[in-house]
Formats: sequence, structure tokens, C-alpha cells
Amino acid sequence: MLLLQNARIASENSPLLIEGDVLIVEGKIQAIGHNLATPKGARVIDARGRILMPAMFDAHVHFRAPGFENKETITTGSEAAINGGVTGVVMMPNTRPALDSATAIATVLENAKLRSRIPVYTSGCVTKNREGKELAEIEGMRELGVKMLTDDGDTTNDPAVLLRAMQYATEFGMFFASHCEVPELAGPRALNEGVMSYRLGIKGSPTCAEEIIIDRDIRLAHAAGAHVHIQHVSSKLGMETIRWWKSRGDVQVTAEVAPHHLLFTDEHIGDYDTNYKMNPPLRTQADCDALLEGLIEGVFDLIATDHAPHTPFEKAQDFMSAPNGITGLDTALVSLYHYFVEPKKFGWDVVVKRYSAEPRRLMGLPVAAIEVGQQAECLLFDTEVETTFTREFMKSKSQNTPFLDQTLKGRVDLVILGTEILLER
Amino acid sequence: MARKDLLDIASLRREEIEFLLDQSTSFKKLFTHSVKKIPALEGKSVLMLFYEASTRTHSSFEVAAKRLSAEVTNFDVAHSSITKGESVRETIETLQAMRTDYIVVRHAHPGLPGMIARQTTASVINAGDGAHEHPTQALLDAFTIKEKFPDPRGKKVLIIGDILHSRVARSTSTLLQKLGVEVAYLGPGSLVPKYVPASIRRFTDYEAAMAWAPDVVYLLRVQLERQDVQFFPSVREYHRVYGITTTRLAEIRDRGLYIMHPGPVNRGVELCDAVMDYERSLITNQVENGISIRMAVLDWLTPGGEFPRQESYVAPQRASATVGRP
Repeated sequence: MLLLQNARIASENSPLLIEGDVLIVEGKIQAIGHNLATPKGARVIDARGRILMPAMFDAHVHFRAPGFENKETITTGSEAAINGGVTGVVMMPNTRPALDSATAIATVLENAKLRSRIPVYTSGCVTKNREGKELAEIEGMRELGVKMLTDDGDTTNDPAVLLRAMQYATEFGMFFASHCEVPELAGPRALNEGVMSYRLGIKGSPTCAEEIIIDRDIRLAHAAGAHVHIQHVSSKLGMETIRWWKSRGDVQVTAEVAPHHLLFTDEHIGDYDTNYKMNPPLRTQADCDALLEGLIEGVFDLIATDHAPHTPFEKAQDFMSAPNGITGLDTALVSLYHYFVEPKKFGWDVVVKRYSAEPRRLMGLPVAAIEVGQQAECLLFDTEVETTFTREFMKSKSQNTPFLDQTLKGRVDLVILGTEILLER
Repeated sequence: MARKDLLDIASLRREEIEFLLDQSTSFKKLFTHSVKKIPALEGKSVLMLFYEASTRTHSSFEVAAKRLSAEVTNFDVAHSSITKGESVRETIETLQAMRTDYIVVRHAHPGLPGMIARQTTASVINAGDGAHEHPTQALLDAFTIKEKFPDPRGKKVLIIGDILHSRVARSTSTLLQKLGVEVAYLGPGSLVPKYVPASIRRFTDYEAAMAWAPDVVYLLRVQLERQDVQFFPSVREYHRVYGITTTRLAEIRDRGLYIMHPGPVNRGVELCDAVMDYERSLITNQVENGISIRMAVLDWLTPGGEFPRQESYVAPQRASATVGRP
């Protein structure tokens, strides 16, 4: 039994916080109210001044297992999630071997059961080995609970292949997540085409490389009657394309935005800092502003980090040689608070809705609201103290993030999942 | 005023540029002496680290270093461990252990000389990094222009060709603008990005560019090897639309314009054969001035500083200490 006293409770429905006590018995929220009596044997936590909210859910992470356990494992990845207040994740299938079969999916899920303290879900490939040619054996993956199909890391380049996959797998109740990039236009550069690419002497990737596929894949979903989820949108016109399709109302489309695309621009790359090398690349301030607008407006259904660990050895190479990606699980919630909630760009409701409720809805899971009768899946957040993202603080095996050694306002103090306290600071 | 490295033009101050150009004048006088060598860098070692093929820049640096009495070692990339899969980072650690004083580096990847500079005590000179910077080329270009126009303020230089892939265009235009020279780019729309700095005029039409009345026409080598897709239909068409043809050379001669080119020239592409005999072609002057400029740079830089900690594979220092919105 756990009694959280005088917490300020956040929900997806209102930016206002409601003060109250929350009693958790056997992993379930039993009562919410003022001055709740302390049952015998209950542990009491004084949460005065702190915010109690549903735990986060990240629908886009790379845990690198199997095949790249030097970058991340299911254990280190899920501990990084807990460290950042996240109690559920969806792994992407660009592992080695790729998660393109029931066998591969089963191995990951078994592994996760043994090695993770939080539920780990996984997506499956659209095509065998993510090669974009032959359809993966989709039904076998569905039987194991896979709902999201994606060749993430790459676009399924042949529209005919993707259309057939959509026509086929929609019948099984599955949906598609799209990494949007015309490879012939984007190239391997991971730098926005613009003033910075000229200055740094790197041929950039134009935003149209992304926007063409956003539009193409929604059109394919429209034709197939499928649900398409657009991943990590980085450009203004990409956001506007999704907004236009949503306004038509005749296609099922959802979309996500990553914290780094809201926060950073290509100018942050500065003197070739590989911590800012990611795909889609960081764009301009105008794009950041449009993405923020799209998030507040609801064009983006969810926030997802695209947590993409790489070893220090790989990232310490020059900009052209270093791999794309940034870790995000340890830092996302605190950075969203520091840069957006604290300066009143948006309220806690946006965080709860977009980074907790909607991702769970996307995956067909129950929403983790702070309501009587719900499973306790929540966290306490202290807005008065700071977090310094030292190497020791990070639980991810890799630390390829611009936040390394930075101090931001806010701290995840306590993470509860059912009867377990996963984290307590 | 001394610096450890020369990585770019953008960070050079006006007085540093003037100093290097003045020093180059002094070193050039040495070329007429029977003994062309001075002991300025006696006992110092210069390592030539060329990951990309180069004839004139490589030999120019080598001659410059030897005229300053330095010991020159060529790092033979073709026969090095790089071919065995050694990373650049490991190569840097090896080079640091050798305690060389200067490293002259050319690499296809932009930013790589800066990365080496942060990890060694040696003075690093960028001899060309991808399409990013080629600072000594810019300095020798400015020096060559100043020989013809001692006060180049207000003069106009038209740079023609593949701007997208050209480190020479970036460095030389930056330097010339610092000296008060007006710069314009001319080339196919696919090779002159629309987002070049606003201070540089952008032309895609030859006649319009000539109407801008340049004093110098600077032709860039068409780098077909860097073009992963087709940027223009054919070299024949390129020559006809953007090259200095025999007819255009006659007009250039009438106007008394100077012609420059960083070499090596693709004859029949950027310019017709007759340009090589044009009295106002400065192409060989550029080669000659390359040596004195590089002597000035080597003599100016100061190797040293604390021996870097051998902390393996720590990310390089970031450009800014803070993150988020500026």
C-alpha cells in the first residue's frame, strides 16, 4: 500500500493540476481525495509540490538487440526508459537479424520478459530483412501481438510493395509506421539542405525528400483503407501535409514528433558535432516552430523519442562517418518540461496526452490515467530541482545526446508500475 | 597573434590575413636568390597526410616546408593501416604518439582536419576537406589578386562553375569579401545553391554575369568525380553555356579581365586551349604564389600546447556549451 499525499495531479484533459492524495493498494488506484486516511501498514510519501502523472509510453525506440548489443540491450534500454519516467516502449525492427519473422519476434519478447522491468513491445518489418522487396511473414508476427509494421530506418521504397502490404495486413488489424525519405534525394548526409549545409560543405538532404513520402504513404493508406502512422516528422511542410490529410477525414493517419526536432536546428551542429547528426536531420527554426504548432494543435498525435543509441567510438568519428541517431529516453520528459512546460509554451496536459495516453491508444493498450480503479502506472515529477545528465546518471548504454553534462530544470523522482516502485530518487 | 592551426578562412581576422599576405611577399623575394632555403623551421617535422589525390597542393606544401628547412614525411595512405580498416581516430592517436610538429591534411570528409586539430598538439593545416574549406588556396588567390590590384576593395570577382562541390569557392569568396572584394557566383542552377550567402550575387546566365562587369573571372574545375548524380547534360554543353570559349575569350581580352583557375584545368571544359596563352591568365602565378603563402602559414603557426589526455573515444568538444534554443 502506498499513499501519495498532496500531489498535484496531471491529466490529458486539462492543463490545470488538481491537488489531492492518491491511495494505491495492490498495484491499483483505490482512492483519490483530500486528507485520505492512512491505512495501517501503508507507506506514506509526501508529494507536496510535486506533480503526479501517468507514466510515459514511447512508441519509437531502438534497443539494438539482437545484433548490436554493444550499443544497447533490452535491459539497458528499458532502464533508460524507467530513468526518464517511461514504463512502456515499442522497439523498432532494424536489428540484426531484422525482426521480420515470428521466430525473431518471439526471441525478442522472451528476452524482454526476462530482462526488462517494463513491458517491451515490438514492431515487425513490412518486408523481409527490410529490403523492400518481399513481404515479411506478417500473420505469424500478429499472432505474437505485433500491431505495428515498419521498415523503420528506411522507407519501403517500392510503393507497389507497400500498397500490397497495406491491403494484406490491414485485414489482420495491423497498422503501418513510415520512416519517410526518398533515398535518392536524401543521400546519407543527415544534414538539412540549406544555409548550414552550404557553410559546412556537406550536400544536404532537402525537406522534400521527407515530404514526398509523407504524402505518398498517406495516399497509399487512403487507397488501401489502411492506418498509417508517420514517424518523426521534421519539416513544416511535412506537418502541413499531415494536417491537410487529417482535415479531409477520409484516411486513418496518425503522426509523431520527436523532442529533438522541436528543440534543435541545423545550426546546433556548429563545428560538426555528431551528437546532432540524426535522420531525419535537424531543420530550421521555422520548422521547429511549425512542429510545435502542430503538436499543440494535435496534428501530431504523439511524442516519441526515436531513442537511437550508438557507442562513443562510433560517434567520435568525423561527421560524415558517424552514424545517425540520438538517445532520448533518459532525457525526454525533463527536456519537455524545461523547454516547453516551464516557459508555458504548452501545459502538462499536452505531455500526458501526447507522450502517455495517445501512444498507448495507438498500440491498443489501456491508458494509464490517475483514476480510481486503474492500474498504478505513474510518476512523481519535481519541478523545483534540476537534473544533470552526467554519464553516471544515464542508464542507456550509449550517451549520444547533446544533453550530456547539461543541467535542466525538473526531475523524475518516483516511477510506479503496479505493485513495483521502479525508481525512487 | 600566433595560432596553433589553420582550419578555415571564416575564423581568420583581417589583421591575420594582412600579416600572412605581407609575409608571403617577403618569402617570395627569396625565390630569386640562389639559395632559396632559410632555417626558420630547422629541426621541425611536417607530416603530409593526404587521403585524397593531389599534385599541386601536395608538392607546394612540400616545397614550402623544405624551403623553411623542415623535415617532411609523407604518410603513405595507400600503404597504411587505413587500408586494413584502421579508423581516422586510431590514425590520429598514432600520429600524436609520433610527436610531429605540423600535420598538413587533405580528406574528402568536411570537418575532419578540425577533429584532428582538437586531438593533437601538432599544428594542423587544412589542405582541403571535402567541399568545406581550402584556406591556403584562398590565401594564394587573394595574394595573386593583390599583386594586380594592391588595393582590391571594390573590385569584382566572378567565380564560375561547380559551387556546390567546391571548397575553393567557399574559402576564396569568404576571404575576398573580408578584403572588400565583391564576389558573384555563376554556374548551372543545379550547382549554384539558392541558399548561398546573400552577400554573394548568384548568376546562372553568362551574359547577365558579364554585365555585372567583373575584374577577374575565376574558373573552377568541374569535379565530375564528386558528382554522384548528373548535374548537367554533358561537358560539351557545359563548355558552351558556362565555359570560356574562343569567342568569349576575345571579349575577355577586349575588356582586359584577368583569368584565374585553381587547377588542374579540364581543357575544353572550363576554358578553351587559347586561354593558356592569354597574357592576363594568372594560373601559373597562382601556382608560384602557393609556395610563398604556404611558407608564410607554416612559419606563422605555433605547434604545442598540453599533450592531450589519451582518453579514448570521448566525443570531441562541442561548439557551444548550452543546448536548446539560442
